[in-house]
This record gives sequence, structure tokens and C-alpha cells, in this order.
Amino acid sequence: MNNPPGETLPGSTDIMVELIKVSKRYPPDVVALDTISLTIPRGEMLFVIGMSGAGKTTLLKLMATMEAPSNGLIEIGGEPIQDLRGAKLARLRQRIGVAYQDFKLLLNRTAAENIAISMEVSYKKPQYITKRVRTLLDQLNLADKHGMIAGELSRGEQQRVTLARAVANSPALILVDEPTGNLDAITTEWVMKLLANSHKAGATIVIATHDDSLYRDSGCRVIELHKGNLLGISGERP
Amino acid sequence: MKFWLAVLQQLGRNLRQTWPSQMMTFLTVSLSVLIFSLFSVIYINMLTVSRQIGDDLQLVVYLNDEPGPEMQEQLRNKITAFDQVESIHFVSRDEAYQRFRQQLGDSSDVLDDMPHDFLPPSIEVTPLHSLRGLSQIKLFSDYLLKLPGAEKVQYGQEWIERFHSFTQVLRLVVLLSASLLILTTIFMVSHTIRLTIMGRVDELELLKLVGATNNYIRMPFMLEGFLQGLAGSLIGLSALYALFLWISHRVTGSELLSMVHFTFFQPGIIALIILLSIILCTAGSYFSMHKYLRF
Repeated sequence: MNNPPGETLPGSTDIMVELIKVSKRYPPDVVALDTISLTIPRGEMLFVIGMSGAGKTTLLKLMATMEAPSNGLIEIGGEPIQDLRGAKLARLRQRIGVAYQDFKLLLNRTAAENIAISMEVSYKKPQYITKRVRTLLDQLNLADKHGMIAGELSRGEQQRVTLARAVANSPALILVDEPTGNLDAITTEWVMKLLANSHKAGATIVIATHDDSLYRDSGCRVIELHKGNLLGISGERP
Repeated sequence: MKFWLAVLQQLGRNLRQTWPSQMMTFLTVSLSVLIFSLFSVIYINMLTVSRQIGDDLQLVVYLNDEPGPEMQEQLRNKITAFDQVESIHFVSRDEAYQRFRQQLGDSSDVLDDMPHDFLPPSIEVTPLHSLRGLSQIKLFSDYLLKLPGAEKVQYGQEWIERFHSFTQVLRLVVLLSASLLILTTIFMVSHTIRLTIMGRVDELELLKLVGATNNYIRMPFMLEGFLQGLAGSLIGLSALYALFLWISHRVTGSELLSMVHFTFFQPGIIALIILLSIILCTAGSYFSMHKYLRF
């Protein structure tokens, strides 16, 4: 039931994400990303940094198949995603876990139900879902919030629930947008530990952040965006 | 199997968590079914009354002289030459007198000084059920008037013509109202369902983002529509039946209305209304969701 991360995305290539000359424009004439090319190998943990409005969230949205690029080609697991529709697109999304900056929680459902949703859509067994939800809530110090309505949680708690939902289905690709924006130092450590565990298990992780303490001594590759352009890459591809 | 288990789980959760809006749709469906069915049951009963009046229709041909057996046979042949009839009954002067006397009851003594043959002989013709159109009855009446010895033909022309006009107008009103009601029902139900779904757009969006297939998202909503159609029509029809029983009970005291036999829908019509209601609600859910599931 619990597939090891990275095993079930299409293609046998070692490349998890490939962006070739990708641009994204919003009407009337806002260039969010301008001709970006980027390769992310399987199993990498990559940080995307840049000021507000640099294009970090847009980049994650394109990789998450939430939006389509205006130009260029995006491949996930070696397969172009532009033409994916219906069940194929749904299957791909089941293997991508996303922690959104605006959380996208169902505020009238409990914390546990919000986390379970990503596993329910891929028909995991109820017993497995219950166990996995408990484990994740424990790991994020939210065990006592299991049955609490998401709308009644604090911002920091909501953020952790979002993260738990992103990793719950053991996805091959995890995209995280500002994971520690509302968290204190200790909680930040729990969150990063959870992501590190998923990374160790084989997941490819892309984290968009302002917080330099997250990537400073991590040894991971960091790419910097500025006004939709790729300003620089530090660190080496694994 | 896994799919249906997940769908049923989702359905149960939706019903639990969105019961106020579900209740709104359910009430809309119930009321729409009730109003539509009320008009239909009125129309059906109107047709029944019209049929009952048709069953009692009889043409009376008044004659100059009482026909002998041979003449009676000739007249019978001439009448059946126009069309087959249900019955032909010759009423002699004496029989007419006796009937009249009986009708007068306690006042029959006013006839004591009258001769027994002052009433004209007549033929009572009951046409077949197939001959029930007003124009056909008129043609038949004209034909009977040309029979040898016929003086006058009566069948309650004025009353029947008035009733016929009334039923025509009522039929038009009921059909127009029913058509408008069907359109209103479709609009109200689909609009309520759409509003319910619009209130859950965030959920739909999230389900898509976490990789739910369109069928996984759509099916619980369609099952909700199915249940709303089923429960709404059952409650609407039950309410109408209760109303029908109440009205039937109330009119038993009225002499005029007690002559009319009120009927409710046949089981087939009840099944059809429930089926249509289910189809309407399920299709309403399907099409309301359609635009959210295009990508």
C-alpha cells in the first residue's frame, strides 16, 4: 500500500523534473517566469529562494500541474505534463505532494480528515490511513489536534497540517511553499525533520523559502529567482 | 470495490457536514414535486369526471306515434346503420307516464285527472364509448332527427357543450401550468444544486489537486442528487396523498361532489414521477459539476 517515494512516477529516467525554457505570463502583461530551464534529479532536495514576487510560488505551481506554462516544456519523471488529462493527470498528482502557501485546507473538516484526503483519493485502506495520520500528527506535535476542526487551529498548526497532508501519501515529489513562515524555531526543526525523513526515503523535495537558516548549512542546491529570471545556482547537483 | 467504498465514505461525510444546504435542495425538490403532482392529479380527476359524464350520455328521440313491433325493428336497423350503439330502448306513452308519476313521488296525484297517453313515446339511445366527441354526437343527433316519425332529439346539448368548452379551457390551463411548472422545477432544482456545489468549490479544487479522478469527485455529488430526487419525490408525493385523503374525506358530505369518484395516481405514474425526479436531480448535479471538472 505504502509505495516507496519516487518509484511510481512515469518513466525510468533519473531526472524527476525538467523545465525547458519555461515562461509564465499573467494577463495583462505580467511576466512571472521568464524562459527558465532547470533540471532536478530524482532524490534531490532543492531550495528556491528570492524576494517576494520573484516567481517562486509560480514555479511550484507549474511543477504541481496547478497551472500550465505560457511557453516551454515541463517534464515530470520524463513525461511532458502539458498534454496530460483526466485519469493520467490525476495519477500524476497523487504522486506529487504540495504544501501550499495559502494552506488550502478544508476549514470545516478536522485536522485528521484534511491529512487523510490525499490518501483517500488513491484508495489506501482506512486502517492504513488512520495509522499514518496518527504518526504524522505525532511527528509534528499535533497529536492532540486530531479531531479539531481545521478552521479552529492556529496559523502555525494549519501550516503543519498542510505539510502533513503533502507527505502523507509518500509522494515521489514534494513541493513546499514557505514551510516555516508561521513557525517558531522548535516547530521549524520538527517540520524540517519530517521533510528530511521523506528525502531519506527517496522523495525529491523542492522548498521555496525566505528563511536562509533552512538551507545555509544543508549542503543542498539553492537556486535564486529574481523578477522571474533564474539569477544563480549554488551548490552541486547530487 | 475500493472506488465505491471511498465514494460512499465521501457521500456519508458530505451528507453529515453539508446537511443545511442538502435540506434546502431536498425541500425545493419536495415542494416542486408536490406542486407539479397537485396539478397533475387535478387534471387526471378532471378527465375522470369528463369520462363519467360521457358514460351517462343518452340521446332521447321523441316520436309522433308509438311504433309497432315492425316499425321498431326498422327504426333499430336505421339507428345501427349510422353506428353500433350500446343500447336502444323504446319507451311507450304508458311507460313514460309511469316514470313521470314515479318521479313526482308524493305529488303524483296531480296526474290523476290527466290521460295516461299525454306524454310522447320515445327511443333512448346510448351510444358506444367510441362515439364521445361532441361533433360526433351532434352528427348522430342530426341523423336521429331524420328518422321516420322523429319530432325532437334531446341529449342535454347546452349543458354538454358548456362542459365541453370548460374542460377544453381547463385542459389548456393545466397543460400550460404543468409545462411552466416543469420548467420552474428544473430551474429551481438545478439552481439550488449549483449553489450547493458553488459553496464547495474549495473542496472540489483541493480534491483535484491531490489527484482525485473526475469520477471520484463527481460520483458522491451525483449520489447526493439521486438521494435528493428519491427522498424529495417520496415526501412530495406523500404530502400530496395526505392532502388528497383530506380533501376526499371533506367532500364526502357534499352531495354534488360525492357523485364524483376522485382518484389518485396509478402506481405506474407514481414510479414515473419518482424516476423523473431522480433523473432531474442526478443530471442537475452532473451538469452543475461539469464546468469544475473540465481540466
